[in-house]
Amino acid sequence: MGIQKDRVRLNVGGKIFETTATTLAIAGRNSFFGAMFDEDWNLQPGSPTDHLIDRNPDCFAVLLDLLRTGELYIPSNIPEKLLYREALFYGLLDHVRSAKWGPFDGNRLRLSRSITGRAPGDGTAIRAGPDGGCCVAHGSMVHVYDWMLDEHPAINLDYQRVNDAGWIDSDSIVISACERVGRGDGGMGLFSASTGELRYKFNVTHDDQVKSYTAGALSFSSDDKIFSSCKGRSNEYGIGVWDQTTGKQIDFFYEPPAWSLGDADKLQWLHGTNCLLVATLFPRKDNCYISLLDFREKKMVWSWSDIGAPVFDEGLLDERRVRDAIAMEDTSSICVVNEYEDLGFMDLRSTGGSVRWSSRSRLMKGKMPDEPCYPKLALHEGQLFSSMNDSISVFCGPDWVLTSRLRRSYGGSICDFSIGGDRLFALHSEENVFDIWETPPPPIM
Amino acid sequence: MSAPKKRNFQIEAFKHRVVVDPKYAEKTWKILEHAIHEIYNHNASGLSFEELYRNAYNMVLHKYGEKLYAGLVMTMTSHLKEIAKSIEAAQGALFLEELNRKWTEHNKALQMIRDILMYMDRTFIPSAHKTPVHELGLNLWRDNIIHSSKIQTRLQDTLLELVQRERTGEVINRGLMRNIIKMLMDLCGSVYQENFEKPFLEVSADFYRRESQQFIECCDCGDYLKKAEKRLNEEIERVSQYMDVKSEGKITNVVEKELIESHMHRLVHMDNSGLVNMLVDDKYDDLGRMYSLFCRVPDGLPLIRDVMTSHIREIGKQLVTDPEKLKDPVDFVQRLLDEKDKHDKIISLAFNNDKTFQNALNSSFEYFINLNPRSPEFISLFVDDKLRKGLKGVSEEDVELVLDKVMMLFRYLQEKDVFEKYYKQHLAKRLLSGKTVSDDAERSLIVKLKTECGYQFTSKLEGMFTDMKTSQDTMQGFYAAMGADIADGPTLTVQVLTTGSWPTQSSSTCNLPPEILGVCEKFRTYYLGTHTGRRLSWQTNMGTADLKATFGKGQKHELNVSTYQMCILMLFNNADGLSYREIEQATEIPAADLKRCLQSLACVRGKNVLRKEPMSKDIAEDDAFFFNDNFQSKFYKVKIGTVVAQKESEPEKQETRQRVEEDRKPQIEAAIVRIMKARRVLDHNNIVAEVTKQLQSRFLPNPVVIKKRIESLIEREFLERDKVDRKLYRYLA
Repeated sequence: MGIQKDRVRLNVGGKIFETTATTLAIAGRNSFFGAMFDEDWNLQPGSPTDHLIDRNPDCFAVLLDLLRTGELYIPSNIPEKLLYREALFYGLLDHVRSAKWGPFDGNRLRLSRSITGRAPGDGTAIRAGPDGGCCVAHGSMVHVYDWMLDEHPAINLDYQRVNDAGWIDSDSIVISACERVGRGDGGMGLFSASTGELRYKFNVTHDDQVKSYTAGALSFSSDDKIFSSCKGRSNEYGIGVWDQTTGKQIDFFYEPPAWSLGDADKLQWLHGTNCLLVATLFPRKDNCYISLLDFREKKMVWSWSDIGAPVFDEGLLDERRVRDAIAMEDTSSICVVNEYEDLGFMDLRSTGGSVRWSSRSRLMKGKMPDEPCYPKLALHEGQLFSSMNDSISVFCGPDWVLTSRLRRSYGGSICDFSIGGDRLFALHSEENVFDIWETPPPPIM
Repeated sequence: MSAPKKRNFQIEAFKHRVVVDPKYAEKTWKILEHAIHEIYNHNASGLSFEELYRNAYNMVLHKYGEKLYAGLVMTMTSHLKEIAKSIEAAQGALFLEELNRKWTEHNKALQMIRDILMYMDRTFIPSAHKTPVHELGLNLWRDNIIHSSKIQTRLQDTLLELVQRERTGEVINRGLMRNIIKMLMDLCGSVYQENFEKPFLEVSADFYRRESQQFIECCDCGDYLKKAEKRLNEEIERVSQYMDVKSEGKITNVVEKELIESHMHRLVHMDNSGLVNMLVDDKYDDLGRMYSLFCRVPDGLPLIRDVMTSHIREIGKQLVTDPEKLKDPVDFVQRLLDEKDKHDKIISLAFNNDKTFQNALNSSFEYFINLNPRSPEFISLFVDDKLRKGLKGVSEEDVELVLDKVMMLFRYLQEKDVFEKYYKQHLAKRLLSGKTVSDDAERSLIVKLKTECGYQFTSKLEGMFTDMKTSQDTMQGFYAAMGADIADGPTLTVQVLTTGSWPTQSSSTCNLPPEILGVCEKFRTYYLGTHTGRRLSWQTNMGTADLKATFGKGQKHELNVSTYQMCILMLFNNADGLSYREIEQATEIPAADLKRCLQSLACVRGKNVLRKEPMSKDIAEDDAFFFNDNFQSKFYKVKIGTVVAQKESEPEKQETRQRVEEDRKPQIEAAIVRIMKARRVLDHNNIVAEVTKQLQSRFLPNPVVIKKRIESLIEREFLERDKVDRKLYRYLA
């Protein structure tokens, strides 16, 4: 018998499956099979009797193949949701998720699905979660989707206008919202992604007094800090810093005169340099202000603004106007984009430099759609992404060559997009719809 | 909410309620409850995992998660209460065994329960914010077993008693101990800290307080330290065997505090065995132990250091002030070096080469060496001794070693300029009398002095060497030029010394015998002929001469004498007897030198080539001297030394001191002017401080002297006092 000792006969919903304990062990100890074959339970593999499992045999076949091959193939006759439910029973949901789509590669993305929501008005922001879920901010509501794209209870912060949202971990979302005059509501809150409950509300104190405030752009650091641009009632503008574990405010960087921090559109934590990139951009302000803050020394270590930049003619002004900015630590530079999707670069190592524009896509000029969306930038593992109207461009290599373009036919311009959990989410502005782009699992050979 | 409006009609919601068997939940729970019982009763073999898992799944799926969870808590609690009773009932030593056994069983049961309830753990518990099953099991164990009133104190006492027994040398079951303590650490919250660590530290502090008291009464310092070290190592080992690693720092703190910190003064000052005794007896092991133990407690090392410093200062002070030990300068310096070696060895062997200890040693030496104003002279004499004879047949490395040690002592000197003075004198004597053993050693020392004190310090010393070399060449040239002219006369060797480079001595000339004078004049002519614009003067007090003499019975001797003595003896070529006054008149040698010369010629046994009347030790002005025909000596060559004071006599010392003080004046003035030129305006105290700082590499200027120099500079209008603030000085350009 020797080799047969490993053999297991399972009767799943009346259908007999023969497999090996080794295959089932791939499920891990924290699964139905891991427990079932643990020595505490007197179930010796190789025993002649069948083990009955009162579950759907078709789904089990798919999951058994998943354990055997590591790959997931869902026949068309099985609804995905049913399979997910069975996977949850066996404790195999994580296996399914990681086999569902491959590691992210901006040049191999395929449109996986489009989700249409019911929210009125324009979308504000879309944010990818760490395990493939996402949240979409519309007006004063944030809709949350898990990686199976099931919608969970929506989130709101006193029904105030949401400015930004972000994931702290796979079950925690932070929302920043406008303050309503005199009510003391709005600000920033921490929510459970699965239940939508408000777990914590972050306070801002100035001179030991709790003040109400409007929270703007958000960023999270690797050492458990939350940053948000803040505007207070009595001109307390600046960047607030909170501790993720205690929820307490631990710092506040006040806006220096003739500069803008509290209105910032974009915050980006730079892990390598321990600095925060703060960018306030047109049209929120008439000018653009980009700066790097070092909180340890309470210093602005790098700054750039287009105030006083030479204006040759009106047309050129738009061309030189920065619409989004992103710091790229690997090359110590900041990438900016104008409204014609021209990329520009600045050196982070010296302050007071100017933007080197790479005039690449003048083609866009003149054929703008009726309701244009301003470009947005994202960086993911050495690939640079830029959204423009109804498409997203992917740039690679040291010279940022355009390598791919993602476009879908309906939904209008893309107002925001986000990359995370090996997925790219793109939110359209005209209709309440967002797309999920995934990299297919690696080829068989 | 606003009040509902009255409605005319009402639409009943279409309700289609799925009615599940009302007893479904109860029935399912019973199955699971039974299974939990069976698991706790080691009777799980009959259970079907699949069925139990499915039932738990269904309960959660049908929204009975709350019921399932509550049931689990209740069932587990009741089982744990039973377990508590059986543990309580265990007698004596079996108590821990039983606790350990039940803990293992509970863990196993908990794992199986968690397996069944895995689905609840994954879905219901996170969304309902409940404690996960495993953690719940630990918490219930903590609350029902560990915190049970009949177990908590008993457990604590048992554990502490076992530790106590181990401390007194018994062997205990460490494995069991490890398991139980591991259990306390596994439980959440501060169970380990509260139920074991805290009382453990308290009991340990008590124990060691008592034990240290006992030790200190009956042990000497060395034994006490050995015991303390042993205890400390035992505790560290104990922690590594069966406690949390984090406890190590805490328990060692306790031991350190009780065994060392509270007694450290008493230990260090213990009669007959304290630190001083250890230092005196070179007890490297004990000292090393003291160092490593004391460095664990605050203020431990400073205490050792302070006691060591005051001890070294004390013995050093005795050494440099004991008049008995000052008699022999060479021996004096050798004692200093031995003392330094001894303590260097202690610091390197026992005190881990601690920098702060080295500094303390250095400052102590600096302190006591400068207590004796003659230290610079003695150190120079030591060098002189070594360079004259002490280094014969010694390898180059050893020479370097001796020189390095001397340099180390030199570094401690505050009055380096005084050393320089003496060194120059001694070097001059060595060079002129051709007594240096090794040119290399001489030069090596000068290089060392140069690196220590700079170019200025040694430039004159180097000049002396150059003069010696040049003189050799000059003499060769002289004899080559003169040739046969002077072949018959006495052989003359001249060393031309540059004025200024050499220690100046009153150039009291004497009348040279005509034979010599002739050769000297020839040399003068030759030298001034080759070097125009120079002046030669004869330093007769520093020369030597070799004379051939024939005595009464025809025996011939070669006499090695000084130039002065030569002058005196040459007089006796023409007369057998001469009075003191006649000799003085003929030679014009200064009275003091003359007396000294005559003394060595007439009063030293075995070297008395002259006879004195009356026969007495001292030379009087009305003495008479006769050629001693009866002179006898075993040797052909007789060296008649002048009675040279090795050490300086009191008036000479005064003179040297005077000269040093005189030399310091321009240096102090130069420093003042340099400082004032840079600062323009400065108050008195700051000038004194800066001058002291600038000059301390050479000597320690006296503030009173500085003040006098400032006054002198004001007189000469280099400086002026500020008209408003009299304490301020201004520089006048």
